[in-house]
Amino acid sequence: MSVFQEDLFYSREHTWVRVDGNIATVGISDYAQEQLGDIYSVELPEPDRDVEQDEAFGSIESSKSVAELISPVSGEVISVNEDIEDDTSVINSDPYGSGWLIMVELRDLDELNNLLDAEEYRDYVGEEAGEEE
Amino acid sequence: MNDAPWRLLPYRVLRAAENMAIDEAVFRLNRREGLPPTLRFFGWQPPAVSLGYFQKTSREIDVAACRQAGIDIVRRPTGGKAVLHEHELTYSLVASADHPLFTGDIVGTYRVVSACIVEALRRLGLTPEIAFEGRTAAGTPLEGYCFAAPSRYELLVGGRKICGSAQVRARGAFLQHGSLLADLDPMRIASVMGVSVDGVTKTTTALREQLGRVVGYDDLARLLRGAFEDTLGVRLVESGLSPAEESLMQRLLSEKYNTDRWNLEGKGDSGADADTADF
Repeated sequence: MSVFQEDLFYSREHTWVRVDGNIATVGISDYAQEQLGDIYSVELPEPDRDVEQDEAFGSIESSKSVAELISPVSGEVISVNEDIEDDTSVINSDPYGSGWLIMVELRDLDELNNLLDAEEYRDYVGEEAGEEE
Repeated sequence: MNDAPWRLLPYRVLRAAENMAIDEAVFRLNRREGLPPTLRFFGWQPPAVSLGYFQKTSREIDVAACRQAGIDIVRRPTGGKAVLHEHELTYSLVASADHPLFTGDIVGTYRVVSACIVEALRRLGLTPEIAFEGRTAAGTPLEGYCFAAPSRYELLVGGRKICGSAQVRARGAFLQHGSLLADLDPMRIASVMGVSVDGVTKTTTALREQLGRVVGYDDLARLLRGAFEDTLGVRLVESGLSPAEESLMQRLLSEKYNTDRWNLEGKGDSGADADTADF
């Protein structure tokens, strides 16, 4: 069973956001990492680059697929998790912790209203997987 | 039987760059344009090596040997390993990830497509097996070569791979393409991929070897079409690209798939957003 951590925002493109002031940490959800299987490679933006909500900011390759990473927020990338470039397996083992991807200085806090909370995301994933309540 | 027909882009032989630009354009616009699931069959002329999205060119193939042999090099939008496309029928399938036939997990897509190809191979009298997910150990001599190890849900005949597939997903749509080997030239593969002839022979097979005869590509495409229709219970209707797909395909050709920057260095993938901004 996937873990849906309560204190996070989620996007329909299976990323999560942890907000601290105007800084957002972004990663992929536990559901996403389960779907993808063993993650081999990640391509992330350079620090200082801008990302836009609902636009691609990188890619991830697993044993099953390449998946485009779609940004849940807009703003400037202030930090990239360099540790995962050497060991992508932490995205599988700790998606909400040490498997984070980027930190973004938020340009517009109102954008968070476009995201889902844990319960909404759990329902969304259930519908996408064709599961019944 | 689902009555809404699917689109079939009939078998054509094109350059590597054209093939990848068409696949990506169909994939990028599938949801945006509300297009039906699309199945395409194609071949490669001149022969080409395709690299997986994340692969390092210099580590996987001998670029100079490819150029000397007149073999094109292209980087796929999909994952996976390097493939020499020379004696094969290639398929690509694009659909929404929430299409009723493909809901559930990612592996489900491979499973559904594999079932169609299995049916086609059975109609040829073969007994294929589906290989389960696996990974070549890093550092092995055949690490970069796609057919060296069965991975994902791929197809074996007599324990050797005959069809390999790769996939990309974005924004609720997926593109999966795969190669069904009609014939095999292990020396040729060895010369451009830096693998041993013996390694290729032990891991890979082809229809000609299994059947003792050559199956023409048009016949093979017809066979696969029938197997997809019957297995999935869908009707495939021959069609072409939409004007928007054609236009995006041309842009992807000039800005991405015709450039060494993308094909050799993996740079310049401006992403779906820039590529499709006008649509």
